[in-house]
Amino acid sequence: MYELTTVTKDYVRDDRRVLALQGVSLTVDDGDWLAVQGPTGQGKSTLLQLLGALSRPTSGTVKLDGQDLSQLPDASLTRLRAESIGFVFQFFNLLPTLTAQENVEAALVPLKVSAKERRRRAAQTLESVGLADRAAHLPSELSGGQQQRVAIARALVKEPRVLLADEPTGNLDHDTAGEIIALLEARWREQALTVVLVTHDNAIAQRAGRVAVMRKGRLTVTPPTMRQGVAES
Amino acid sequence: MFVTTYLRRELRHRKRQAVFTALGLAVAIGTVISVASASSGAAKAQSTVLKSLYGVGTDISVTVPWSKETGAPGHMVQPGDTAQQLDFLDSPAMGLLDASSVPSIAGARGVSAAVGALILQDTKFDMPAAQPKPGQPEPQMTPPKQVTVDGVDPARTRPGPLAAATVSAGRGFGAADTTADVALVSTNYANANSLHLGGTVTVAKHAFTIVGLVDVPQNADPRDVYLPLARAQAVGELSGKVNTVYVTATSAADVDTAAKAIKALQPRAAVTTADSLAKAVTGSLADTAKLADNLGRWLSVAVLAAAFAMASLLTITSVSRRVREFGTLKALGWPTRRVTGQIMAEAAATGAIGAALGVGLGFAGAAVITRVAPALNASVASSPGSKPVQGMIISGDQGQAPTTQGFDAPDSVHTIVVHLTAAVTLGAVVLAVALALAGGLIAGGFGSWRAARMRPAEALARVE
Ligand SMILES: Nc1ncnc2c1ncn2[C@@H]1O[C@H](COP(=O)(O)OP(=O)(O)OP(=O)(O)O)[C@@H](O)[C@H]1O
Ligand SMILES: [Mg+2]
Repeated sequence: MYELTTVTKDYVRDDRRVLALQGVSLTVDDGDWLAVQGPTGQGKSTLLQLLGALSRPTSGTVKLDGQDLSQLPDASLTRLRAESIGFVFQFFNLLPTLTAQENVEAALVPLKVSAKERRRRAAQTLESVGLADRAAHLPSELSGGQQQRVAIARALVKEPRVLLADEPTGNLDHDTAGEIIALLEARWREQALTVVLVTHDNAIAQRAGRVAVMRKGRLTVTPPTMRQGVAES
Repeated sequence: MFVTTYLRRELRHRKRQAVFTALGLAVAIGTVISVASASSGAAKAQSTVLKSLYGVGTDISVTVPWSKETGAPGHMVQPGDTAQQLDFLDSPAMGLLDASSVPSIAGARGVSAAVGALILQDTKFDMPAAQPKPGQPEPQMTPPKQVTVDGVDPARTRPGPLAAATVSAGRGFGAADTTADVALVSTNYANANSLHLGGTVTVAKHAFTIVGLVDVPQNADPRDVYLPLARAQAVGELSGKVNTVYVTATSAADVDTAAKAIKALQPRAAVTTADSLAKAVTGSLADTAKLADNLGRWLSVAVLAAAFAMASLLTITSVSRRVREFGTLKALGWPTRRVTGQIMAEAAATGAIGAALGVGLGFAGAAVITRVAPALNASVASSPGSKPVQGMIISGDQGQAPTTQGFDAPDSVHTIVVHLTAAVTLGAVVLAVALALAGGLIAGGFGSWRAARMRPAEALARVE
């Protein structure tokens, strides 16, 4: 699915150049579950943004299904995000003035979906993450775990090909984090979903099929192992 | 529509921002409407003044400045051996025109009707004997009594001073009155001088039967007595003369054409239009009109600029605070155009709220202006171009050489008091609403520009 070849990403700010990625090569196959670990400030989020077509590499190629994202025009990247990529963030990033239902609907707005269909699909997805009874609540009226469930519903409602999660449990207590990961795993199994998940949590990383470690802008992928974590649970 | 749902939610949950922006715009809009209505009120008051001076339907008045050649011969009076009771008609302030010029003016280009009139002054004056009889006290000069008399065509009172008159008792003039010794008397004058319908009024020692009492509209320049033109000419010894011609143009657009054509026919005449008269109006009304026009305009511009700047700043600040929100929308695959559309919709809605509040404020402002505005006066020369000192009284003392004494003709300058009514016009409302929406859209434009410049990755990286 993804094929990254010697990707670098520099940030220039105040005449200072930060080399966030320094030659990352990576292959992610359809249906993979890749966990990315590493100390803070090493380029994990930067990598995820490149995978999510939110930014372009400074050099190298980021190919999605053979298409080089660095060469696509902005409009195509926007459409790609709308149709194929679901994001989940550490701070949930729900739209604060919209209800849970409307937050989920927002993901379908750029797609050609009728209002009725949009509402139906959003309600259904909310139900699938166990929040049917919270549809009319504002994010501020939900717990952290519930907010992240809404965010997951929002990421999944469009039935994306890939789910990119940047420390989705970073703001949650241990038990809630476990529930969220279990939810993601269930959806990963049911849908033909590819997951790239950034986490600081070793236990969560160990549940992944593959673990990559990001250090100083370079990525080391440990060889695929049996997904013991999932098997155990 | 998702846009409207989102819009409603934003406005509801970010009430303070919306209210501040809308209020700022509303104050500006209210100011614009108030100023515009004060300005149009002043303009309306001015046109009322002009109308009341020349009567409804008069677009142009034609007069001739007084001079030795154009003026009436005048009445030379000298003290005699006995006391004299003088009573004569005169055209003291105005030069004379041949009555035959009226049809020629009526035929001029752009003119639809022309009616001649003879505005006269009746002077009643007790002149003492040159030599007081022995034993009698030295006679005191009493000031002359003056009555304004207007000779009008009884068959055609429109255009002219009687065009807007209402008859309060008796009847108005008709064609049959052309050569009759009949008079219309203004109600005020009749009351002040105990004149009654059916009685007589004496003008230049001629008795005229009072057939009607008339009121001319408030603020007008009423004459005391109206006579049939031919009779006024006869008793004033001014046969075949008029001194004011009231002209109606074929249309408002033709006033200038008509004025030029008349000027060509009567090079010596003062041809006065509403426009030229408006320039000659002085007094607090004129000052108010100028104030509303000049200061009001600048005030409006300043308040609008401030409101626009405030709205823009608030919108930019709000967009900056919502960076992560917009970054999220971009991550969800919202095109930039959709994000900026959302910002524009919010700004336009705020502008619309501001417009609604502003229109309310504008009506309130106009009402306050109408309530607190003092009575305004407008002064205008009744016969432009005339010299200001008109009448002559010649008096003599005990055989000494007669001395002459000038006095102002009482009606050479009219001061008319009007009340300013600041009425909100539809045009002002439309303009104000357009401005409020423009203000909202300008603010939204700044916000959109700010949002469009954001890189989604950066926006997401930002932690609130
Ligand atoms: N928009 C940006 N402009 C400038 N520098 C940036 C930007 N985004 C990230 N960086 C820098 O790039 C480097 C990598 O950042 P990145 O966010 O990818 O790290 P990370 O591994 O996700 O860290 P963390 O675990 O703390 O989230 C850091 O040094 C960071 O300061
Ligand atoms: Mg990060």
